[in-house]
Amino acid sequence: MRKTVSVVLVCMLAAVLFLSGCAKKTGDTGTIQIALQAPITGDYAYEGQMAKQSVEVATELINKAGGVLGRQIAVTVVDDGSNPKDSAIAAQKAVSMKVVAVIGSYGSSVTQPAADIYEKNKMVSVGYGCTAVGLTMDKQRTYFFRTCGRDDAQGLFFAKYAVETMGAKSIAIMHDNSTFAKGVAEEAKKALQPYLDAKKTEIVYYDAITPGEKDFSAAVTKLRDTKPDVWYFTGYYPEAGLLIRQAHDAGLTCPFIGGNAAINDDFVKIAGLDVAKGALMTQEPLVTDVTTTIAGQFRDLYQQKFNALPSSPWPVYAADALYAIVGAIGKANSTDADAIATAMHTNMTGVEGVTGPTLFTAQGDRKDVPYKMYEVAADGKLVIHKP
Amino acid sequence: MATFFEQLINGLTIGSFYALVALGYSMVYGVMKLINFAHGDLFALGSYLGYTLLIASSSWVTVHFGLWGGMAIAMLFAFVGIGLAGVLMERIAYRPVYPAGRLSLVVSALGMSIFLQNGIMAIWGSRPQAYPAAVVPSTRFSLLGLPVTSLQVVILLLSFTLMLVIWFIVEKTTFGAAIRATALDRSTATLMGIDVRVVIFFIFALGPALGGIAGVMNGLYYRAISFNMGWTYGLKAFTATILGGIGNIPGAMIGGLLLGLMESLFAGYISGAWKDVFVFVILIAVLLWRPTGLLGEKTAEKV
Repeated sequence: MRKTVSVVLVCMLAAVLFLSGCAKKTGDTGTIQIALQAPITGDYAYEGQMAKQSVEVATELINKAGGVLGRQIAVTVVDDGSNPKDSAIAAQKAVSMKVVAVIGSYGSSVTQPAADIYEKNKMVSVGYGCTAVGLTMDKQRTYFFRTCGRDDAQGLFFAKYAVETMGAKSIAIMHDNSTFAKGVAEEAKKALQPYLDAKKTEIVYYDAITPGEKDFSAAVTKLRDTKPDVWYFTGYYPEAGLLIRQAHDAGLTCPFIGGNAAINDDFVKIAGLDVAKGALMTQEPLVTDVTTTIAGQFRDLYQQKFNALPSSPWPVYAADALYAIVGAIGKANSTDADAIATAMHTNMTGVEGVTGPTLFTAQGDRKDVPYKMYEVAADGKLVIHKP
Repeated sequence: MATFFEQLINGLTIGSFYALVALGYSMVYGVMKLINFAHGDLFALGSYLGYTLLIASSSWVTVHFGLWGGMAIAMLFAFVGIGLAGVLMERIAYRPVYPAGRLSLVVSALGMSIFLQNGIMAIWGSRPQAYPAAVVPSTRFSLLGLPVTSLQVVILLLSFTLMLVIWFIVEKTTFGAAIRATALDRSTATLMGIDVRVVIFFIFALGPALGGIAGVMNGLYYRAISFNMGWTYGLKAFTATILGGIGNIPGAMIGGLLLGLMESLFAGYISGAWKDVFVFVILIAVLLWRPTGLLGEKTAEKV
């Protein structure tokens, strides 16, 4: 019995090797090979699996619409195990497979080593969940892009929304001295500058709390006395939950707006539903809340194939990355890495992904990343805020 | 002006938590000359014990004994549980290494801290837990024009009562004299007929037990508890102990309250981001001026 199994396995392995050998030899008329580097195992396995499903759905949609340059596309998955070490191995694997371009990866620290390897091997890679500013800031990378926003893009969104949509005349900003939270807070402050100059609003409070502590009563009492119209906290959910509760106890009634790390189920649990209800959050949109045509098709096919929808915003950016790569191949009329990279930097007008146009800055960051304002509904779930 | 008094109350509340934890630090240090790094984690464990009791079989305790009754039982439970844990800890982790000297003791204490922290994480998970709203009294009223919650008042009263009781035991009773004698000179105390083992047992039961109560109060007051919360409180309480004078009971109380007040006034009037910097500058200044802390005994007395 065991012998039969091993014979079958050997045959299968041979077949796989043969087929993959075939794939590598594709000429100008065969399928275009693209790799998805994602955390299929490890801490973020859940995210990786959803990214794989999203890319599968996008591949099917693109191929159904005729592919690109008259050729179909095929995506191979390489697993980076959610850690930087395996990420380098996964990247080497993708390089040795001689794919046209790579989608990936999810975490910033995981993406970092892979992006270096792709850069060295002149291979276009498009990150989909790596939001750290440092990945593109002060770096001269030619072949690295990302479809997700940068941590600081959120600050910009907040500024615009608070002043123009909510009409806030006085704004309080609080962070927790961590790189991420301080970055978002500083960008928000910078983005508010034009409004400050136009005397449309003012920043009445700008300070930090210490993460890990439990008592923020002194900070919220001070905050309350500055009488803000809105209050933006850019840190993480354990402190956010404590803050909103203590602010409530101190009699602060203005709307609380959290950054995209501030609100989740634990936030609601810590704050208590009575206090958490109505809290707002700046976040990348969930696929259920995107209104593009592609999003509609994407949702239908995803639902049909997997009987659910991605529960976080990130997997959809992996699909966006595929749309961007395919769009760039079309614009460049070539599968050459340099041509694709140039097209992505300069010539992406009209290329759309699931979440909208995929245009990139000279550094490879996505332009005009969509953000949405979410609100904690009466049942503790997140819904789009209606001002 | 009202805000100023509000900030004072805020500071006193934080300070009373620091003071209760600092008491345990100081008692153990006074007698054993050991900085018990695991003390903060016992405080966290107390918080989790209280939490577990209060949520057990859909808040049975609260349903049967009422909000305040449930609270009292949870505190008693943590008091006894953490007292036992403290005694056990001394047996397992400290007593075998006494002959090896103080350095080994400190390393053992650090190990105990890591053990407890990871143990809590293994049992209760790494995500923060929250005391459910149903078990926490939430009456709010106005005291001389200041908004306070009934829980805040109870916590302040209870902390001060506990501090007074400990102060009374240590300073005014015969047993307290035995504790102080042991702290001053263990071998002479033994020669005077003091059973040092009983003193050590008492110290390692009562110090952590106070931390256990503080843990439950902390959980009730802030609702959220996390496996690594002991570290922050341990560090702050240690600072308070040094500020007040390590080994000195009233010093620990005053150090804790002072630290809480400074934190809250600085965060309230100057800058939250610079709060810790300020607090530690004050600590350094105090130590330069009085190396043994505000109420620390002169080193000459210890010789």
